[in-house]
Amino acid sequence: MTTLTTTTEDHRIALLAALAITIHIAESALPSPLPGIKPGLANIVTIAALCIYGLRTAAWVLMLRVLAGSLLLGTFLSPTFALSFTGALASLLILGLARLVPGQSFGPVGYSVLAAMAHMAGQFTAAYWLFIPHPALLHLFPILMTAAVVFGVVSGIIVAAMLKHIQ
Amino acid sequence: MRSQLITHADWLVIITAIALLPWLYATFWGSDGGAGDEVHIMVDGKELPAISLKQDQTLTIQGTIGPSILKIADGGVRFISSPCQGQQCVHSGWHYHSGEFTACLPNRIALQVTGGTARYDTFNY
Repeated sequence: MTTLTTTTEDHRIALLAALAITIHIAESALPSPLPGIKPGLANIVTIAALCIYGLRTAAWVLMLRVLAGSLLLGTFLSPTFALSFTGALASLLILGLARLVPGQSFGPVGYSVLAAMAHMAGQFTAAYWLFIPHPALLHLFPILMTAAVVFGVVSGIIVAAMLKHIQ
Repeated sequence: MRSQLITHADWLVIITAIALLPWLYATFWGSDGGAGDEVHIMVDGKELPAISLKQDQTLTIQGTIGPSILKIADGGVRFISSPCQGQQCVHSGWHYHSGEFTACLPNRIALQVTGGTARYDTFNY
């Protein structure tokens, strides 16, 4: 019988993903003023993972959070999941691109704002194309993006403060 | 890792993001401000044939609590009077732009200006 060997990185990813899932679920209990607007505090874990361990770990943590979070909340393969998944892919893409910028000049706040905006834009595009292709929906887009920028800055500052504390 | 809380690149991202927002509002809230060319009227859930805004006229629409009078002039439409208490529909004024919507809820009359694309419900000669 073969035993499943796990590496330190696996443990680290599992730990961070568990943390992100917990925040994700706690946050799902908060009421939302508009569908699509939520603080996205689980983003904090992704950005912190990105800053400390790199894109690979961050990608694992993010995708595991979306997958396991949806299983626990009962939204797996539902429209909510599709939106969440698209948003996560979009923010990974933009974070990957931001990592390619020479000099590694971005800090947690920059990454967080980029990720929040990409998440919102990806999610919105999916909502528009897949579920509600009505022009009236477009009116929501600026409001949603404003929320994304605000929450992106806030969680970015939380990550920055957190990293400073860890150092 | 760096000790700075917010790096220069971060500021650049934040400023760009904030600068992008007014543009988004202008694009998504202003662009459908194109002039409408017809008005769709719904009475108690039923839609009447679309009426062109090009032809000035005064319409009397029978709602559930009485007649509402609509005026079409200069490519716009408005409620002139309605038998409701609040008169929000009258106070909402003229509606010229495609996508604009107003309603007299007590009288179950709603109208929306549409246009931009060539959609003909009726031809008048």
